[in-house]
Amino acid sequence: MTGGSRAAGRAGLALLQFGLVLLVLLPVFWMVSVSLKPATEPFAIPARLWPDHPTLANFLHAFRPEFRTYFVNSVVVSLATVAISVSLGLLAAYSFTRTQFRLLSVLMVLVLAAQMFPESAIIIPIYKIMRSADLLNTYASLIIAYVAVTLPVAIWMLRAFLMRLPPTLEEAAEIDGAGPLRTFLDIVLPLSRPGVVATAVFVLIVTWQEFLFALSFISSKSMRTLPVGINDFIGQYGISYGELMATSVLISLPVVAIFMVLQRYFVAGLTVGAVKG
Amino acid sequence: MKRGRWLVFLFVSPAVILVGVLMYYPMIGTVIDSLYATSFIDPTPKFVGLSIYREILTSTDFGEVVRNSCIWTAGVVLLQNVVGFAFALLLNQRLPGRALMRSLVLLPWVLPGVVAAILWRFMFDPQLGLINSFLIRLHLSGQGIPWLAQTSTALLAAIVAAVWKGFPFSTVVYLAGLQHVDAEQIEAAIIDGAGRLRRLFDVVLPAMRELIALNVILTTILTFNYFDMIWVLTRGGPENATNIFPTRIFELAFGEFRFGEGATYGVFSILVLTLLLALYAAIRRGAERKSAGA
Repeated sequence: MTGGSRAAGRAGLALLQFGLVLLVLLPVFWMVSVSLKPATEPFAIPARLWPDHPTLANFLHAFRPEFRTYFVNSVVVSLATVAISVSLGLLAAYSFTRTQFRLLSVLMVLVLAAQMFPESAIIIPIYKIMRSADLLNTYASLIIAYVAVTLPVAIWMLRAFLMRLPPTLEEAAEIDGAGPLRTFLDIVLPLSRPGVVATAVFVLIVTWQEFLFALSFISSKSMRTLPVGINDFIGQYGISYGELMATSVLISLPVVAIFMVLQRYFVAGLTVGAVKG
Repeated sequence: MKRGRWLVFLFVSPAVILVGVLMYYPMIGTVIDSLYATSFIDPTPKFVGLSIYREILTSTDFGEVVRNSCIWTAGVVLLQNVVGFAFALLLNQRLPGRALMRSLVLLPWVLPGVVAAILWRFMFDPQLGLINSFLIRLHLSGQGIPWLAQTSTALLAAIVAAVWKGFPFSTVVYLAGLQHVDAEQIEAAIIDGAGRLRRLFDVVLPAMRELIALNVILTTILTFNYFDMIWVLTRGGPENATNIFPTRIFELAFGEFRFGEGATYGVFSILVLTLLLALYAAIRRGAERKSAGA
């Protein structure tokens, strides 16, 4: 192949790359565009991709009291889930990685296999457990359920990460007379920070958007989280598409921002496990 | 090490107990619940043996749900993996802006599921939606197609939305897999004069066979049980046209308080899952044996 046609081929591929990614992002772009559209500017046919007079009015309307309640509920439930799931996950992953005997390996396989379990198929007994524990309409019901469903993936990601840490440092600490707990807190915990960050981001993304449990366990309006809350806004009298899209942008912003900042850790953490198991 | 075992058990017990009670017990609980009938009027469970199974297997609803689930799962899994792989190939080239493109393409996957679903409801809107607006501009349609409101197109529309949301995950997995394809083999193929397509089919795809198989099974499990997208788009309608196992289970259990019927649909989902997990384990074992032998 000559240099010229090679370069032309590259340029063509680069254009294809930009074009396809733009196509994928078109719906997101449109969501932002409609969220900035003044209520007075009609939907034109054919649709205009960008409003003539962008405004933040829809965002001001979107901050209705219900939205604020749902937002606080989502933040509380998500942060609690991330903290508990990652802590318990790290303890378990550390034990599964550094200690080996028959019963423990069996427990590990059982816990890891649960990440494939379909919540939608087994929702009825889970709902009944929450009902008989008198936890319906509480943060606790959501946090407990979210920790249970995210733990298997958290352990799997953290284990893949811990397996790559050389055990020599821990061995040195043990020779120095540090007990297992000391070794864990002083050596393992600081070293596993990138793995912990990746896992925390994953658990946050999953929890922030969880819909099925929130829809089943929570019937009281004051306890709703954002996904159920916004689903309820659809078609509600007085809520325009502009406001709905503004609300969508507001719900997406926290996770998208965190993801963009921390994605280097995250993609590495996710694929270590996916490819090498 | 025996000395420290109590500590190990202390460390793993919260995870084991939580997963046991809220993931394993409900698998058995679903089977038990499928033997008891409840209703909105009479919420006390009554043991009815296998009669709910008989009733469901002969109902037209069940046939429709099975048919929809098959089309939905096959469509989403196939497209998601093909599109995901194509993007992985493209983003694996050393092209300008690659790092930025790699993170931007993940955006649909990061977007909360309900937000993505609402966005696509809007995209498909007959009057205001972007898709119909393009069709009208190109004179392909006079007044817009009500994609989600007619039985002939609703499932197709839901598949498109789900593929958009899910393909970036496959891209990430395949991009990671591409890094492990033997560079020497590719060099050798280039020296032999193999073009891009030949290299793809003769070197890259065979090298990634197991990863592709595992990812296809994984996405099949996730798609078969994916509730959010269809629930927000159509709630299983119009006229059952998009009703799949997860939406039917939810509708029966929490819409009609027929826990027995919902659980019975759940048992069929668990059976499908068991088959897929067995397949997953077999492929995984085969791959491990091969890499151990090499």
